[in-house]
Amino acid sequence: MRRSLFGRLWPNLVAGILFVFFVFPVYWMLTTAFKPDLDIISTTPVFVPFHGTTSHFDKAVHAAGFWTLVRNSLTVTIGAVLLSLLLATAAAFAVARMRFRGRKAFVLIVMVAQMAPWEVMTISVYMIVRDQDMLNKLLPLTLFYMMMVMPFTIWTLRGFIAAVPKELEESALMDGCTRFQAFMRVVLPLLAPGLMSTSLFGFITAWNEFPLVLILNKESGQTLPLWLTQFQTNFGDDWGATMAASSLFTLPVVVVFLVLQRRAVAGLTAGAVKG
Amino acid sequence: MAAQYKGTQVRAPDEGAAEPGPLRPAGGKPPAGARTARTAGTAALSRATPYLLILPALVATALLLGYPLIQNVIISFQTLDAFQLIQHTTQWTGFGNYKAQLTSAEFWHTTERSVFFTLANVALIMVSGALVGLLLYRLGKRMRLLLSIGLVLAWAMPTVAGTTVYQWLFDTRYGVVNWFLDKLGWHSMAGYNWFGGQFSTFAVITLMIVWQSIPFVALNLYAALTTISGEIFEAARMDGAGAWRTFSSVLFPMLRPFFLSTAFLEVIWVFKAFTQVYALNAGGPEGLTETLPVYAFVEGVGNQHYGTGAAISVLTILILLALMSYYFRIILKQEDDL
Amino acid sequence: MRRKLIAAIGVAAVLTGVAACGGSDNKSDSGKSSSAGPADFKGKTLNVWLMSGSNPPGWTKDITAAFEKQYPGAKLKITVQQWDGIQQKLTTALSESTPPDVIEVGNTQTPYYAATGGLKDLTSVKADIGGNDWAPSLNGSAVYNGKQFAAPWYFASRVVVYNKKIWTAAGITTPPKTQDELFSDLDKIKAKGTKDAFYLPGQDWYGFDGFLLDAGADLVKKDGDKYTGNLDTPQAASAISLYKKLNGYGTAPKDKDEATPQQSDVFAKGDVGAFLGLGWEAAGAITKNPALKDQVGFFAFPGKTAAKTASVFVGGSNLAITQGSKNPELAQDFLKMAMSDQFEGELAKEGGVVPNKASLDSNLSGNEFGTVSAAAAANGGTTPLIPAWGSVENVPNPITTLFMTGVLQGQSPSAAAKKADAEIDKRLSQQ
Repeated sequence: MRRSLFGRLWPNLVAGILFVFFVFPVYWMLTTAFKPDLDIISTTPVFVPFHGTTSHFDKAVHAAGFWTLVRNSLTVTIGAVLLSLLLATAAAFAVARMRFRGRKAFVLIVMVAQMAPWEVMTISVYMIVRDQDMLNKLLPLTLFYMMMVMPFTIWTLRGFIAAVPKELEESALMDGCTRFQAFMRVVLPLLAPGLMSTSLFGFITAWNEFPLVLILNKESGQTLPLWLTQFQTNFGDDWGATMAASSLFTLPVVVVFLVLQRRAVAGLTAGAVKG
Repeated sequence: MAAQYKGTQVRAPDEGAAEPGPLRPAGGKPPAGARTARTAGTAALSRATPYLLILPALVATALLLGYPLIQNVIISFQTLDAFQLIQHTTQWTGFGNYKAQLTSAEFWHTTERSVFFTLANVALIMVSGALVGLLLYRLGKRMRLLLSIGLVLAWAMPTVAGTTVYQWLFDTRYGVVNWFLDKLGWHSMAGYNWFGGQFSTFAVITLMIVWQSIPFVALNLYAALTTISGEIFEAARMDGAGAWRTFSSVLFPMLRPFFLSTAFLEVIWVFKAFTQVYALNAGGPEGLTETLPVYAFVEGVGNQHYGTGAAISVLTILILLALMSYYFRIILKQEDDL
Repeated sequence: MRRKLIAAIGVAAVLTGVAACGGSDNKSDSGKSSSAGPADFKGKTLNVWLMSGSNPPGWTKDITAAFEKQYPGAKLKITVQQWDGIQQKLTTALSESTPPDVIEVGNTQTPYYAATGGLKDLTSVKADIGGNDWAPSLNGSAVYNGKQFAAPWYFASRVVVYNKKIWTAAGITTPPKTQDELFSDLDKIKAKGTKDAFYLPGQDWYGFDGFLLDAGADLVKKDGDKYTGNLDTPQAASAISLYKKLNGYGTAPKDKDEATPQQSDVFAKGDVGAFLGLGWEAAGAITKNPALKDQVGFFAFPGKTAAKTASVFVGGSNLAITQGSKNPELAQDFLKMAMSDQFEGELAKEGGVVPNKASLDSNLSGNEFGTVSAAAAANGGTTPLIPAWGSVENVPNPITTLFMTGVLQGQSPSAAAKKADAEIDKRLSQQ
């Protein structure tokens, strides 16, 4: 393969520009968070914060009840993701591996559920939760967040399960495993990347949600997205504090990404070799 | 995360349209050997197994989604303002809310805007996402890692934080974008108010949505590409096909299911995008950037005419279903082939 | 005092014991509180929602201490709410089985909530909580259909908050007496290189309403038995042109209100000549930038002539008890406490707001904002006191988004007014 110098150069050049395009907002958020006020509102932007300060972070963390919000957010998000994985794996297995009457209908339901516009249904969800006397609690949030991510999880896992060679499972059955044992020992380990990637998606969705928690939990059980949006109102044009808050809000997602992405990619390479 | 399509969406052309794994036996029935030893009782149980497996998901969907949806439809036939909500009274209005919307120019403008907005964004996302994905495939190892990191960071940024950051980037006075455009010689952009006009507000919203969505398409496409044997490209090159021919007559047909299902998800995500549109400029100026979900929220929750809001949301769902019907047909057809 | 209070609780308890439907919880509570032992309030929490900027720290501390001393074991939980999106929050909260017990409601929004039935009728206890002394003009918004649904809490009118250092540097020694003087002063300040001689964001509709009242018109007019938008008038055109002129004396955004960004934060930077604001905003600016401490001055927005200052919009807040409150007796006593000369006076003194009765105005002496604001309020008005008005204020408010920003960005007043009036009419008729 011979390529001209230009032919070798331009993809890298474009990649460099794209890298800046994708990273810059993240970079700008982080650096603004560390900049002293005067640097933030200087007419010439300060691109590298030499005089870093953590005072914006102090302000963000010292907002009333910050750690309770962190705890609530983590509880709700992780709960929703785990529950959805559990329910979705079972359903996805049935859809991918078994033929039964009503299967098509179920697939259709999952597809429609995937489209549910939750933001515009907040008032009906609110009235249901209110009438069950479950306002200001974490459980309804967890359940509804689970519902938001479950269709996508089923959809995706089903593809992963279908890709696991059936023979592997069958040979386990021949060896005397029950169907459940065969699933646990053969299919589940191969699903790891799928579980990772759907968890990642679920985590982001639940972590981000705010129209619902805004209306359901006015007194307690509030989560970080509320804090972030209210923070901005409270602090007006205090961009340093707002960006510090945004950075803190983004941090757990990045951590989850880094932890899960590696496994997901590892699984991917294995798949690539096979294909 | 990039792996999710490798099973269903990528397959060599000779496999036909049938679903999923390459090693699936013909007919898809469980092999006889596994069953013969079972008694009638376990056979009944195993007939029930699929239903038991989907039961929890079905129950959850019925309670957590079906119930609110029905409630939403019920509300849409009511006059439900602050008074009725606080008093817990029910006041039916028949098709009143629907009639008001279907005869209002504002509703149709918003619908038109919403559809156009969705199509434009999805087209942008799919095209640039595909290009970035192909670029990833072409890049050397190091640059690929670098670009992947950039993509993952943009992807990981939660929407709520992302909108805050974009507001800051495009801030009238101290925003770095205005400064940069000014420095480029476009001096009228110093102090430019991006959120003052319909077009410029949409430009920022679109840029943000595209920025957030490209990574999903690009990384998945790259993952899909790595599962395709290099021989296929080799063969195409031997036949003298250029880059565009290789893409349009070899890659695209192979990846058609991938593009279909990704486009499906993107259409849903963009059409439903609420946080991005609402948090950036609350549908302003003058409601000119309201998309259907934002319109439903403003009329329903904002103006406290919850019945009206519910009617708009039901109409929103119907419009989305109509947009998706083509895709539904394809998917259901694939299910038939199983 | 104490004995009287306890007696009052007894009466209230009997009343609620009869009125409460179901709620065995409720009955046993009131049964106990009539015997008023110290332990009776154990575990009770009175939930009070106040709006951002309403409760100064000293007042909050003192009234909490006083309340919890009066009712040993009971807790006073004050939650500060943001104005942004408050109507949606209030409406849903009022529909719940355990709403907050006491809520602060803006005076322009009170008739709306009174009409929803979410507020408790206080007519029978009005005298007990001090209602006979309330200034009738300030009590207007709390009365709906002849019944008292809230207690008038405090009032304020916007005045010009200015940076003395910048004004002195421009050679100005006395505050302007007429609008012409104001503009010539602002010209001088501008000439000295101050970019924001006057900071007036495009969507401060309370400020605009003052100009409109001064021009002799209202936001709506009565048309038979219904109300319609009234912005397509020569008066509104002249008010908005004054507004536009003033907005031009600074870099304030044309499509944002005074809270995004908080104008007090902008003023705190020290390079803003003046803004139209309230006492707590000036105080906030000083907290943010203590160097401003002795530099902040106030004057009422001048009239066309020196004869009198311009009319202003009198904003204010009422305190109401929710219909669904589970602690109506405690709520009522909290109200009584807040309305008492002691705490109403302290609020006026510390917050610089106009109290609900003239006899307490002396608390404002020494508070420059309060003095100026109270004087200006004498020449004030408010939005129409009709329930439907509440819908007009819902986001996006047509007065700001369609009319004010429209004109500021170059539309003709009449064209923008037609759009805004159409939306106002729609909202007024939907109620």
